[in-house]
Amino acid sequence: MNEKKHGNAPGADTPGTPDTDTPGTDIPGASSSWSSKPEVDGAQATMPGLGLRGTLLFLWRQLTSMQTALILLMLLAVAAVPGSLYPQRSVNPSLTDQFLEENGKWGEFLDALGFFEVFSSPWFSAIYLLLFLSLIGCIVPRVGVHLRQLRAKPPRTPSRLTRFVGHTRIELPGADADAVLEQAHRALRRSRYRTVVREETSSRSVSAERGLLRETGNLAFHIALVGVLVCIAGGQMTSYRGQVTVIEGSGFSNSLTQYDSFESGAWFDEQDMPPFRFTLEDFRATYVQPGESGSVGEPRSFEADVAVTTPGDPEFSQTVQVNKPLHIDGASMYLLGNGYAPEVTVTDPEGTVVAEGPIITVPLGDVGYTSQLVIKAPDAQPEQTAVVGYFLPTGTIDEQGPRSLYPDSLDPQLALTVHQGDLGLDSGIPQNAYEVDVSTLTPVAGEDGNPVLIRLYPGQEFELPDGTTVSFDGLRRFAAFDIAHNPFERWVLVSALVAVGGLILSLFVPRRRVWVRVRSTADGALFEVAGLARSDDPSLEADVHALASKLSTAQDGPLAGNGTSDDERLPRAAKDSSEGSAQ
Amino acid sequence: MINEQLAELSNLAVVVAIVLYVLALIGFSADLASTSQRRSDARLAALDEQEGARVLQTASVASEGGAPVAAAHSRDGGEDPAADVTTAPAPGAMTAQKFAFLLSMAATLLHVLGVLARAAATQRVPWANMYEFATTSSALVMVAFLVFSIKRAELRALGTFVVGPVLLVLLLAQTFWIVPAAALTPSLQNSHWLIIHIGIAIIATALSILGAVVASLQLLKGRHEHALAEKTAAGEDLPEHWGRAGHVLDRLPSSTALESLSFRIHSIAFVCWTFTLMFGAIWAREAWGRFWGWDPKEVWTFIIWVIYAAYLHARATGGFRGSRAAGLALAGFVAVVFNYTIVNTVINGLHSYSGL
Ligand code: HEM
Repeated sequence: MNEKKHGNAPGADTPGTPDTDTPGTDIPGASSSWSSKPEVDGAQATMPGLGLRGTLLFLWRQLTSMQTALILLMLLAVAAVPGSLYPQRSVNPSLTDQFLEENGKWGEFLDALGFFEVFSSPWFSAIYLLLFLSLIGCIVPRVGVHLRQLRAKPPRTPSRLTRFVGHTRIELPGADADAVLEQAHRALRRSRYRTVVREETSSRSVSAERGLLRETGNLAFHIALVGVLVCIAGGQMTSYRGQVTVIEGSGFSNSLTQYDSFESGAWFDEQDMPPFRFTLEDFRATYVQPGESGSVGEPRSFEADVAVTTPGDPEFSQTVQVNKPLHIDGASMYLLGNGYAPEVTVTDPEGTVVAEGPIITVPLGDVGYTSQLVIKAPDAQPEQTAVVGYFLPTGTIDEQGPRSLYPDSLDPQLALTVHQGDLGLDSGIPQNAYEVDVSTLTPVAGEDGNPVLIRLYPGQEFELPDGTTVSFDGLRRFAAFDIAHNPFERWVLVSALVAVGGLILSLFVPRRRVWVRVRSTADGALFEVAGLARSDDPSLEADVHALASKLSTAQDGPLAGNGTSDDERLPRAAKDSSEGSAQ
Repeated sequence: MINEQLAELSNLAVVVAIVLYVLALIGFSADLASTSQRRSDARLAALDEQEGARVLQTASVASEGGAPVAAAHSRDGGEDPAADVTTAPAPGAMTAQKFAFLLSMAATLLHVLGVLARAAATQRVPWANMYEFATTSSALVMVAFLVFSIKRAELRALGTFVVGPVLLVLLLAQTFWIVPAAALTPSLQNSHWLIIHIGIAIIATALSILGAVVASLQLLKGRHEHALAEKTAAGEDLPEHWGRAGHVLDRLPSSTALESLSFRIHSIAFVCWTFTLMFGAIWAREAWGRFWGWDPKEVWTFIIWVIYAAYLHARATGGFRGSRAAGLALAGFVAVVFNYTIVNTVINGLHSYSGL
């Protein structure tokens, strides 16, 4: 059922076997060579002629056939699976590295096959490019056919209507054939059918058609899919995305040097970055407190107040939240992370301040926000110094070591050790600012020979045996933002909307034909009505019957028992109606 | 913020609904069993009659014997007259099916109440974690089934196959996925996309479940019809296939009718999945700054979408219609289940917070 012969020329598609076009006759294998493009399939059956041209033509027809599209779609689904099972580099590179480390040769093998970059792998790309090639090859001819069909008149009325859906034949004694036809014509037009009146040898007929919008929608859908793909590709070439970390009270101005990390497409131009700046005025976080429902310490809200200036406009303030990004012309800024930045001052044994100010700490991911802190003081004398340890928003130190019990800063403290030695900053190898390798350094030890553990509360200062001092001067928070822009984004959305619109039309607009044939008889008129569903169309039969009874009642008042009939009961129905109207 | 009494009420309603569903399931199954029994009796009676007839006039029966057979296996799916010949209950009497249908209505009512109470307790939409998603979407499956089958009584015969999966989902939810009613995590706050995206996803999931039920019955019924037709062609007068299970299948609408029902459900489901995908992408842009990032949940929604698209194409392609297309619809459903269970619990991704 639901056969559509999109490739057929209009007028040439009077079905040879009407049954296959009627809903409810799904005969498996009855038309196994059928496809939406019959002419093409006809060509498939014959082997390609020798020669390059013939072979290419053959391949092209294979590629644009419905079967191929189907297989490519299935391949696409299967090929996407490993992309969700193996950690993808583009999504989470550290997980990929971890997997590679744990899996040795097997990992390398998978890596060589592209299992960690599935969605940019040659095989995945090949599948979707072939699919879209097939799609384009499939739509182009259909567009031509459809345009012609839109302009053409509905096809000729089949000479025998008996085998079509809801066929009804009614005799109307005393009626005028032309009037009946005219009425049928009007009724169909009112129901938004395209109609044409045909003069036949001994009769006249209206041929009506409705639902060309279905094919229009289908074409729009497929074309819009190509649009989505093109716009995604365009976006990949021109978009940029970067991460920034900003401490309360500090600012950021949008230029490449200010980003912690940054990536952009091949056609991205730095000049296109909007020159905005902002200050992070305040960052607030709330968490589930003991006694509230939910698990204690779970975040409830994150809010970052920013004051933004763009050239030529007055400064404005906005609260950026998760799900509430800041949009300015040419960029959007998303709140994606946060943490603590304790203000710490380190002086070396000679009394020089070697580090001062808020230090961004890295949350370890526990509920209590235990955060790792690293301060590198390469200028310290007599030796380079590194301060490492933890910031604890609500701290405790027990057998498990220093940790935080609650994410809010209820009892903030620092648990630190100080190490001295060559920090290796001159080696030329770029280092992560938030990490230091202490294995080559010497911890500053106390009198008992053990490394000194420093525990500091805000406002306190600690002096080590060698004279180094560390003080905890205050606490600020920091927020991490992603700043991104994709100029093609809105076009992806527009294409996607066109696609769903088309999809809905193409799935739910029934496409059908209805015919009315009227003949003059000795004592009046005889008319026949029938329909043909060209898509799933459960209400066609009822509609045809409704039309038939409308035509018969309009001519000479309500007639008993002649409303409906179908092909099996045809002779009796015709007889019934003539009897009925003879009364 | 959280109204604990309402939360408890919600829990209670769902638990009672589960009990009622169990009873309804028993009712529907008893109905299937008894009709298949009736069918056997009818068959025996018909055989007896034939035997008798054969004794009387051997010659003519051979040609006319086909008539009762054709009636007993009429393919049009509706109420089968033969089903009720022997022990048809008096009109108005409480049949097992009617009983089960009323019970499942009551259960659904409680189930929906439970969902609403949860929403009232948390003052937000009741679909922010796996438990809530499961209870809400299964409620929707039931509502859709009841709506379909209030008008078309013949669909009530599908009761077992709908209540069964719903019960399974509810039991899983109530034992493994249950979490206390709570306010939203920040990543889910402030967004009307929570309502739109997940709301549509729930409808899509419910339709996929219904579609899968219909598609599997279509496959079974198709095979059954085929076997019966072969046996009839081989000259059997009262062909039997798959014993009692076969009699159950006899009561269902024809495979063609199931096929077109399945198609209608799946086309709506496909549109809903398309919207789920799109709204998800829009939300991802608002929340994570990109509309698509191949997060495992995104990957699997994409896979579901592609498989259902393949189903629609298969249905329009010669040689793939009927059972093969139904197979694809079921593959789509497997992807839906995978997306909901494995991706939420085992695979680590951005959607993990919405899980347990
Ligand atoms: C990106 C790949 C594709 C996707 C996602 C896709 C999706 C869809 C969807 C959802 C429908 C359902 C609408 C309907 O049934 O009317 C459809 C229909 C259709 N598609 Fe595609 N399609 C794709 C590629 C293709 C290709 C390559 C061809 C040509 C070989 C094609 C030909 C058709 C035809 C002829 C229909 C109408 C089928 C019918 O009669 O129901 N599509 N497509």
